[in-house]
Amino acid sequence: MSTVDERPTAEAEEPEGPTNRPEPSYRLREWLSRPYVRHILIIFVILTLAIIPAAWLVIHFMNLSGAPASDIMYEIERTMFVFTLVSAPVMAITATILLYSLLGWGRVHGEEPPMQESPAIRSNPIAIFGWIGATSLLAAFLVIWGLVELARITEMSNGTTRANQQPTTAKPLDINVTGQQWLWTFEYPGQQSITSDVLVVPIDTPIYFNVTSKDVIHNFWVVELGVKIDANPGAITNTGVTPNKLGNFNIRCAELCGLHHAYMETQIKVVTQEQFDAWVREMGGKKFV
Amino acid sequence: MSTDVILTSDIHEQMAVHQPKQRGKAGGFLRRTNVLTGSALGIVLSAVTYAIGSKMVPWGTQNADYSQVGLNALVGATYVAWVIGFMIGIGAFAGPVRWMLGHDITHDDSEYMAGKGQGKWKYWKYTTDHKVVGLQYLVMALTLLGFGGFFAMLIRTELGVTWAEVFDPNFYNSLIGTHGIVMIIAMIIVVAGPLGNFIMPLMIGARDMAFPRLNALSFWLLFAAVPPLLSNLLLGGIRDGWTVYQPLGAQAPVGMIGYQICIITFAFSTGIAGVNLITTIVTMRARGMTWNRVPIFVIGILAAAIMGLVWFPMYQYSQVLAFSDKVVGSSFFIPQEGGSVWLYENLFWLLGHPEVYVIVVPATAALLELMVVFLRKPLFSYKVAVAGFAGIVGLSSVVWVHHMYMTGWAPSAGYPFMLSTELISIPFGFLVLVMLGTLWRGKVWTRLPMMTVYAVLWCKIIGGITGVYLSDVPVDQYMHGSMFVVAHFHFMLMGAGLFGAMGAIAYWFPKMTGKMLHHRLGMVGFWVSFFAFQVTFGSMFVAGLQGQPRRVLQFDNAFEISNWISTIGAYLIGVGMLIFLYAIITSWRSGTIAPANPWGAKTLEWQTQTPVPLENFPVLPVVTSDPYGYGVPDPYDSIELKLTDENLKVGA
Amino acid sequence: MSTTTASSTQQIPRSPTTGELVTTTARRNRLGIWLCIVSDATGTVALLISYVYLWSLNVNSAWAPPKDSFAPDLPFWLIVAGIVLAAATMWWGVRGMAKGHRGQLILASALSSIIVLVTFVGQIVQLSTFPFAITEGAYASATFWLAMATAIHLSVVLFLTLAIFNRTRAGLFTQSNHSHVRLVAMWMTWVCVSALLGAVVTTTMKVSPNTNSPTFGTFSQSSNK
Ligand code: HEM
Ligand SMILES: [Cu+2]
Ligand SMILES: [Cu+2]
Repeated sequence: MSTVDERPTAEAEEPEGPTNRPEPSYRLREWLSRPYVRHILIIFVILTLAIIPAAWLVIHFMNLSGAPASDIMYEIERTMFVFTLVSAPVMAITATILLYSLLGWGRVHGEEPPMQESPAIRSNPIAIFGWIGATSLLAAFLVIWGLVELARITEMSNGTTRANQQPTTAKPLDINVTGQQWLWTFEYPGQQSITSDVLVVPIDTPIYFNVTSKDVIHNFWVVELGVKIDANPGAITNTGVTPNKLGNFNIRCAELCGLHHAYMETQIKVVTQEQFDAWVREMGGKKFV
Repeated sequence: MSTDVILTSDIHEQMAVHQPKQRGKAGGFLRRTNVLTGSALGIVLSAVTYAIGSKMVPWGTQNADYSQVGLNALVGATYVAWVIGFMIGIGAFAGPVRWMLGHDITHDDSEYMAGKGQGKWKYWKYTTDHKVVGLQYLVMALTLLGFGGFFAMLIRTELGVTWAEVFDPNFYNSLIGTHGIVMIIAMIIVVAGPLGNFIMPLMIGARDMAFPRLNALSFWLLFAAVPPLLSNLLLGGIRDGWTVYQPLGAQAPVGMIGYQICIITFAFSTGIAGVNLITTIVTMRARGMTWNRVPIFVIGILAAAIMGLVWFPMYQYSQVLAFSDKVVGSSFFIPQEGGSVWLYENLFWLLGHPEVYVIVVPATAALLELMVVFLRKPLFSYKVAVAGFAGIVGLSSVVWVHHMYMTGWAPSAGYPFMLSTELISIPFGFLVLVMLGTLWRGKVWTRLPMMTVYAVLWCKIIGGITGVYLSDVPVDQYMHGSMFVVAHFHFMLMGAGLFGAMGAIAYWFPKMTGKMLHHRLGMVGFWVSFFAFQVTFGSMFVAGLQGQPRRVLQFDNAFEISNWISTIGAYLIGVGMLIFLYAIITSWRSGTIAPANPWGAKTLEWQTQTPVPLENFPVLPVVTSDPYGYGVPDPYDSIELKLTDENLKVGA
Repeated sequence: MSTTTASSTQQIPRSPTTGELVTTTARRNRLGIWLCIVSDATGTVALLISYVYLWSLNVNSAWAPPKDSFAPDLPFWLIVAGIVLAAATMWWGVRGMAKGHRGQLILASALSSIIVLVTFVGQIVQLSTFPFAITEGAYASATFWLAMATAIHLSVVLFLTLAIFNRTRAGLFTQSNHSHVRLVAMWMTWVCVSALLGAVVTTTMKVSPNTNSPTFGTFSQSSNK
């Protein structure tokens, strides 16, 4: 800028000197032989390896309460796993450079601006295009993975096909889910419209949910089955799942809906077909065909 | 750009400039107004409105079965009266009225309005000087952060006490809503307000902002917007989270009106500030400051101002319509009467997403600006940084639906919006590259502002990666509405936004206050907050993965441990922040006097004296290069030319 | 220091407050107005989105007002015509001022103010004579607010045209310094566009295309899917 500065500075846009630049392979060798480059590569590899277990950790936390209890949830966890693996190097390279900058390239303390200047690196086409290429590839991978997975779980939640793309033999079961402040009601239109405040479903049967609300927005979240959809007043939303694990799992409301939102929980009981039929009879509905 | 160079002496004497007729003393009406007259008129006007209104309004009129239209209208009118009364009382309308009457402002008037010769009193008046407005914004932002932080402590107390309800659930719901929106407002202004107003004009070598009176207007509108927001806690609260989804918002008591008036007013404030910032940057740069010589912080402010200007009205109108639903019984968001909840969500997130970038972009740009000074290196690839900001501005307007994947609205919209959201991580990555490239081989001068660069980089990468998880629809099907989302956006808003703002404020503190920020205290406060932050929100990720929904005050035993850890961490953040605040206050009051350029930086704001004179520069500067001419030639470059094997070992 | 010649600095007046040439401040103000227009346009788009989206959804079959009493078309177009006329008059005044005819601008701004006032009153009349109350369904709400937005725009425009009239009379605009008038005319042009867009949607989209929306709180439509 217009002021005088006594410290040595690099010429900003100096044209390249006479081009007796060495050939690329030599330059790469030279670059790799620089001590800081070696250190950084080593730290990078170590950190990447250290982060990779996070992929299992993530799944571990997600599974604490019994997931995956459906193919959808299985796909979700797989996606989390893959994304964590893919992010590990990104995370690691950032952390490495961060650490190395703090510890490796030198530090100056004190209140006066340091007199010693660092190398004037204004640009580096290899680094820039390498980075852009790498992040674009990663993003492309994640996008493609995501699009494919989305198509898969959409198909699974339509309740007609299984993860292995085989149409199931079981007939789908329709359930009407109504959210209202602050409870869930499940209606079985195919079973003489019996209603219940606990969701009981047979295993390995495609379930098809119609969801709505009688007052404000709620969110129907069947945690371990990976089902989630808003219950909107004035609209019907649809989703579905095929439970593949017997047991009791959590249903929570995942959209703030007022006073007792925190307590708007219930359970889904995944039972065998026979138990389900018995339950339907007990509730006064006709046998499920 | 004008080729016309003006000396300060010319300005003072105004020899050649014809002046309008001076009516009365310089300053006119504004001599008599200040924040006290404003508040007084605001209170009187709202009290009168309330008194008259409560005689006229049919109390208890029912709208569907939701809200009491009559009462809402009454409270709405009262709040509007407050805002209008305050703005009249502080003199905001004096300018337009004088313009209409043809009583144009003279040079003496404008100097009075810029606060000349009024001592400290000018901070309490409708003062146009950008440096005054900057400091007003700083104090306002810190105050709001204080409120928001206090609410956060209460929230974490409730969540830490897993064996009982500490607060009434309604009050708890109001707390999370108020905490959220107070923090969002604070974070929108915390960099662009103080630094965008105080520092940016200096940085581009201007004498003031393009529209000094609009500058005062934007601050005092914000000031008027805050009491309605905070008062909501006394009037039943906003029980709906900061997003205030309808029709839950329509059910809320009259406190909701305070939120709506606040947002509508604040949107005007932001829009006006946006117009002002953009116009200043585009038209007022010093001679020679071509677009490739503009400091990167200025580019960041420009990007944020564009996003705010273009998208804020969406949020404003969502609140105007919600307000109308509440006070006159229209039915935009009331489904029984033909309204749609998806309409609200779309309008909200059309701003809601760009807004998060309005928050994080200025902070990031500030760090890019300051890190070169502490590394004594040029910025690594200015062009990539600019491209990053441009990409974010462009893409930020086409990703809002990622907040609505699970609403059931247009399920197939998931495909394109997943694509656009994941694409945004590419320009986002540009900024990371520029930061890493600038760190590369630099010797660090370990002052507090530089330390925040590391903190922010770390938080940003975690926030970015978890953001990419969330932008994947299948993953979001598990994570949406869970604590995982809360942890993600706190890593971004607090980790990248607030820590960055702390660094930026620490860096420009000497210029703004004339004092050095106490290094030791600032460091302790900052590092305590940083590590406590990792604990708090790290364990919140775990709670989210386990399946804890957000915005709940009681939960399964399974989540207890992670919540206890989060609460302990949160208290520690509180301690750290208090230390940092104490450092700011004591340094401001009695710190060591700062030299004009304590960091040896090259941008223009450091080249003028401290405290900055009213006219900023004695002579308007002329710019001949970009401000990043730090550093010495790379030693490896000279070695490379000699192709001997020994040279491979040099440079250790 | 100054690179401009003495004669040119004399011709172009300077701003009394900052000492810059008024051409410089005029350019700056023009950018400012453009930005205001952009921001205001987003607001208008928000209203248009609301109208069109609610129209397309017909939630709970409650879009239409009772007895399908939609607002008549003519008032919308009359109001648009009023604003267009006012803006055109103002531009005519600007052209006159550019040639140095102050009288023409006085006349134009006076006429324009009167037209705006009449249009504003007309807008208020339309608002108060809609064949439905704002509480009667989504169409009523959306239409009411589009008209309301025009009313608010018009009140701002009225302030501006009156100010221009007053300032021209006071001799504050000259051939070389009348940028404010241009800015006001620009703003009025945008108000025309926004009113026009409002009129287009309110007059073309009335009966909702969605005839089988689910009844609130039930699944009555999902069964015949
Ligand atoms: C790589 C960049 C980013 C991506 C891909 C991303 C993605 C997402 C997604 C998909 C959600 C929705 C989650 C859900 O509700 O289910 C979300 C929420 C959120 N994000 Fe980000 N994000 C990014 C960066 C940021 C930044 C920079 C900020 C702020 C400075 C931010 C703040 C937020 C906030 C506040 C929410 C939650 C809003 C709410 O529901 O209350 N994000 N993000
Ligand atoms: Cu809920
Ligand atoms: Cu977003």
